[in-house]
Amino acid sequence: MFSFLLITHGLCAVLLLGALTHQAISVLWPARQRTGSFVSSVRSVPSATYTNAIIIMFVVTAILGAIVYTEYRITVRVMLQDYRLHGPEGAFELKEHVLAIGLGLLPAYWYYWRPALAKEYATTRAIVTSMLAVIVWYSFLTGHVLNDIRGFGS
Amino acid sequence: MTIGRAFPVFGIAFAVIYIASVYFNWALLTYHPQLVQWGPLVQAPKQGPAMYWYGWLLTATLGASAIAAVSLALPAKPFDRIWSILVWVVPLVMIAVIGYILRVYFLR
Repeated sequence: MFSFLLITHGLCAVLLLGALTHQAISVLWPARQRTGSFVSSVRSVPSATYTNAIIIMFVVTAILGAIVYTEYRITVRVMLQDYRLHGPEGAFELKEHVLAIGLGLLPAYWYYWRPALAKEYATTRAIVTSMLAVIVWYSFLTGHVLNDIRGFGS
Repeated sequence: MTIGRAFPVFGIAFAVIYIASVYFNWALLTYHPQLVQWGPLVQAPKQGPAMYWYGWLLTATLGASAIAAVSLALPAKPFDRIWSILVWVVPLVMIAVIGYILRVYFLR
């Protein structure tokens, strides 16, 4: 059951990562003109349309992660401590806290992506979106590395 | 949208209260995963570890909701502009604080 939830959590994280990375690139490095190239296409996605999907995926991924987290505490963390893998253990501790801060930022993220505030708060929107993208990238990589350390299904 | 004005304040307050909850262990709930058992407030580990993360999230959510609701009484000018800066500065500072708290993991 936990393996199924872990894989689903990972798949949701991949979707979230893709959407948030697209949105962050388009807001930090917007294309003035769409040339048809791959890079230009990435830079010119209609980023505002991603917002609600990103919030839903963030929450769903976090809920799945919160369920799988119990298994981590019982089996994986103990193993990390036994092997004195303090770095990976600390990286995961940091992950749980930055993700919590990311969850708390979601309402503000939604608010600053409203069309009415598009021009007035463009800088805030770009920074908050980038922060969420960094948080999700960090969390994804940390979770992936820890899964590699523990070994799937072991 | 009036309620939306409180959302940035929620994010700011959430980050501060969450990190304070971690540091002082102000968990409103404790989960005992080995026993599959929830308990109110901070409880010592019974059998296996005790998990406080869910409790910290609840503390931060309730505290930040209250502060965000109160913030609606403040005038939009100049506070909306102030919140638009604090909404990313404060979480960044809080991430730095938690990184400092957790430094022991990386220095051992």
